[in-house]
Amino acid sequence: MSPALLASGVLLAPLAAAAVIAFGLRRAPGAATAVALLAAVLVAVGSLVLALGPARDFTASVELLRLGTFGLSLGLKFDDLAALLLAIVGIVGLCVHVFSVGYMREDPDRARYFGGLAIFMFSMLGIVFADSLLMLFIFWELVGFSSWLLINHHFQRTPAAEASKKAFIVNRVGDFGFLLGLVWCQAQFGTTQLDALAKAVDGGAVVAAGLPLLLFCGAVGKSAQLPLHVWLPDAMEGPTPVSALIHAATMVAAGIYLLCRIHFLMVPAALEVILWTGTITALYAALCAVTQRDIKKVLAYSTLSQLGYMVAAFGLGSLKVAHGDHHHLIAAGVGAAMFHLTTHAFFKALLFLGAGSVIHACHHEQDIFKMGGLARRLPVTFTTFTIGVLSLIGMPGLAGFFSKDAILYLAWAKHPGVFAVLALTAVLTAFYMVRLWRITFLGAARGEGAEHAHEGGPALTGPLILLAVLSVIGGYGWFYSGLLGGRFDGVIDSVVHPAGADHTLILLTSVAVLVAGALGAWLLYPAAGEDAVARRAPRLFGLLGGLQASFDRAYGAYVAKVQQRLAMLLNFLEQIFLAGLIVRGLAGVVGLLGLGARALHVGNANAYAYWFLLGLLALWAFAAGLLSF
Amino acid sequence: MRTLPFDPLLAAIAFPLASALVIASGLPKRWSVRLAYVAFAVPLLLALHTWWHFDASPKVAGYAFLTQYSTGLDAVGISLKLGLNGIAMPLFLLAGLVGFAAGLYALQSQAERLKLYLLLLLVMQGGLMGVFASVDVLFLYFFHELALIPTFIMVGVWGGRDRTYAAMKLTIYLTLGAMLSLAGLIAIYARSGANSFDLMALREHLARFPLDQALQGNLFGLLLVGLGVLVSLFPLHTWAPLGYGAAPSSNAMLHAGVLKKFGLYTLIQVAVPLLPAGHAAWASPLAWLAVIGNVLIIGFVTLAQRDLKQMIGYSSVMHMGYAFLGIATGTAVGVGGAVFLMVAHGLSVALLFLLATSVHHRTQTFALDEMGGLARPAPVLAAFLVAATFAGIGLPGFANFWGELAVFVALWQFSPAVTAVAVAGVVISAIYGLRALAQVCFGPATPRMEEIASRHPPVDLRWSERVPAVVLLTALLALGFWPRAISDPIHAALAAPATAAAAPSAR
Repeated sequence: MSPALLASGVLLAPLAAAAVIAFGLRRAPGAATAVALLAAVLVAVGSLVLALGPARDFTASVELLRLGTFGLSLGLKFDDLAALLLAIVGIVGLCVHVFSVGYMREDPDRARYFGGLAIFMFSMLGIVFADSLLMLFIFWELVGFSSWLLINHHFQRTPAAEASKKAFIVNRVGDFGFLLGLVWCQAQFGTTQLDALAKAVDGGAVVAAGLPLLLFCGAVGKSAQLPLHVWLPDAMEGPTPVSALIHAATMVAAGIYLLCRIHFLMVPAALEVILWTGTITALYAALCAVTQRDIKKVLAYSTLSQLGYMVAAFGLGSLKVAHGDHHHLIAAGVGAAMFHLTTHAFFKALLFLGAGSVIHACHHEQDIFKMGGLARRLPVTFTTFTIGVLSLIGMPGLAGFFSKDAILYLAWAKHPGVFAVLALTAVLTAFYMVRLWRITFLGAARGEGAEHAHEGGPALTGPLILLAVLSVIGGYGWFYSGLLGGRFDGVIDSVVHPAGADHTLILLTSVAVLVAGALGAWLLYPAAGEDAVARRAPRLFGLLGGLQASFDRAYGAYVAKVQQRLAMLLNFLEQIFLAGLIVRGLAGVVGLLGLGARALHVGNANAYAYWFLLGLLALWAFAAGLLSF
Repeated sequence: MRTLPFDPLLAAIAFPLASALVIASGLPKRWSVRLAYVAFAVPLLLALHTWWHFDASPKVAGYAFLTQYSTGLDAVGISLKLGLNGIAMPLFLLAGLVGFAAGLYALQSQAERLKLYLLLLLVMQGGLMGVFASVDVLFLYFFHELALIPTFIMVGVWGGRDRTYAAMKLTIYLTLGAMLSLAGLIAIYARSGANSFDLMALREHLARFPLDQALQGNLFGLLLVGLGVLVSLFPLHTWAPLGYGAAPSSNAMLHAGVLKKFGLYTLIQVAVPLLPAGHAAWASPLAWLAVIGNVLIIGFVTLAQRDLKQMIGYSSVMHMGYAFLGIATGTAVGVGGAVFLMVAHGLSVALLFLLATSVHHRTQTFALDEMGGLARPAPVLAAFLVAATFAGIGLPGFANFWGELAVFVALWQFSPAVTAVAVAGVVISAIYGLRALAQVCFGPATPRMEEIASRHPPVDLRWSERVPAVVLLTALLALGFWPRAISDPIHAALAAPATAAAAPSAR
């Protein structure tokens, strides 16, 4: 099978599954599950064959639209970057599908759920394969739709309905910029094809900073960066496997992928903005995570923070590296961002699925202070979750350590201020994760659910084990160069690792921040039924809570006080002024002239007919030359 | 290409009109209903036929299926000349599709005086097919009036709330708009010196002897106001939400979906090519009026609506702004996008009006605040509503996206500032669309809904309602996944403006 054909098959299999489920298996949840699972298996196998195969840069394209000078083709762009994300989507997607089979077993609406997952897989794969900004945008919108569908799964719950709406609208705000940037790009270059754009920029085309920044707006929405991050914590209303797949591992990472796809458009001013957006998001979200009681909310804010890390890494840009006696420029920002995206996809999907396993075991209890003592009752979940936590907080030897180090080193080399903020974020990360881990798993069971918890079977534990393995080995060079045959070298080679004195410094820093955060949490948080910091330092706690709520409050005020009032005012003017006065005035004129005032009397069909015929006759007469003006 | 033994365009116009005549002459109700099924299906089948064979058909100056019938007024240049170019064909197809769906929906509606209702709809249908098949400008107008008159009557007789006022307002506005348009069209005829209402002849003549610039500007302005009323250009739009709010569903589907496009269609087919200097003079004011008025102001007004049908009516006014923007750019991309959007919007708004009525049957109200949780008892209805809403807010995969995208692409070259405001409208439409969707379908059922449900347990979408909805949704998805089905003819018509006109084969 030719690679282009295989890629098309991988892309279309989930679409076919979604169509079959939507139009035929709505009332057959078992069959729907099987169909979606089959599609996920096909995608996973196809993805790995493609990603680990030698074929790159094959082309396939089909023209969808041509109007005047504007043409639009859907095509495939498959380089190492796409291959890496493809492999991630394939593996994590399969894990989440398998997990969902167990997790959603009791749900009567699981046909809709699996249909939604299939649409999501299709849309996400479209982003991976996209060869133009326009195609990216098309699938970008479609992942937004599937995200809406899945967050809204329990649509009878008002919070779910609200959260899905919010997610879509906030993303649309980001897409406003994306679409404008796209249209600008099309106007300036006559194309949005990535290769053609790169060629144009190489050829010396001038790019205004506004263009990449407008495109970046899309990433701000999708990757939930400040100030458009508000949708992601609310999106936790969706079923937990969905949070793992969409709101942790893949869709939210699409923003990072978009940035890497357009890195050649970046000018220093744009990178500066991107850098600080990511840095501030990383710190802000870590601060928010500290006060959360809901296991999924902690992980959601953690995801925000880690996405901020990736965006900041990208914003740090390229690095001049001495190689023998000459220097050369490495796209270290792209490398570090994608590397962290990869390891994060593994350990964050693991953590979310672990949280799902915990929630499933505790009968849908999500408050960590009502859990406790799960280490003994859920041994597999506990072990794998612990690996996830350690990987996330950067324990040396685990995947997260390597990728975080690459970012910290890059920050150290390029921007000490950012380095300081990111190091502080790492302290907080260790703090809130150890807090979460200890309260959830250690001590005595503090709730009904936690007391009777037990593991949910191989469908739930299997994916956890696979992801745990990847969370350990996913950071090593030999994993990529040896096990994966160096197929992702186009990305992995641009990851810059510290050497010599820098290496020691970065290593010491990471260990120090890790120990500081973890120890702080261990000392402050006994595994108890209440929040110890909230009790001891209520003002600090309140401050953090206020910080977390500030954006939602501001947006809420804007919607209620500005947007809705403006709408009401305009509507009032519309009804009174335009609709009322003008038309009444017109009617008055008509009445005054006495012209057919009776004919306008409603329901009198004859009058209409007569008027019509009369007019027609007059026209005919005029046209035939019997009448002349 | 296989040809039919008769003229498909004339048949598509005449069959519904003749059926209406037969029904009017006292056909029993049972047979009237059967005849109506056929009469709504025939134009659709013929429209599909013309779409399928359009590419391969021989064309004169871009027009396929050309025929000419004498009217006895050939001396002054009036003849019934029928034909389709790449712009007319998609709209002809739209008229067939929406007419069929509206007809089916009417047939299951159990309206009072069903025979009269069907009769008027058939007259509308015949008129609509005629609008887009006419190459003669006077007949273009005539068929529009033919389709318009039933609207007034239907709103007055079968209308909902405020029907008297709505019908009066509708009549005043639309008659006034139509009169101004007619004056403009006749003035073009009179001043061109071509001595013909034949659009092809007019084009050829005016390409060689253009009108002077000032006159072009005046005529274009006149047409813009007249046609603008018909398409609800801000601030001449206030008849639309009121009228649609009151109109019976099938009538609203046909009017908002198809008939309203007459104004845009005439601008694109007649005003822009015949009065290029007039268009150039008016482009900028039109763009700003459309973007600030239709998109931004009406967008906000839509946000304030508490009534489902009014909301759909206002959103339709808002989306017409995008079509005007495409026309303002004057480029093949923009105008092509506008044509695409006209088709897409016609399908999606018709679907929305259909579904709104089906919602009303189950909730007994259009008030959004009183609704809630309809997705539980009526999941299929909710799924259709989700699809129609997302189509309306321009999700890729549905037809509307392509139209909006092309308009935005063209608009950036025209003015980045206008583009920015126009794209902001995309956010506004997502807000009101999703908000309404959540209020109707999701969340728990409101107390009022529970009370209604206890009396009339809501049932899911019945098959008789599903079939017309499926027709529209299929078309939206088909064009969403394969826009070239209509964009290629549009492209061909706009990229190579018709200049050479030859005498069509007389029948």
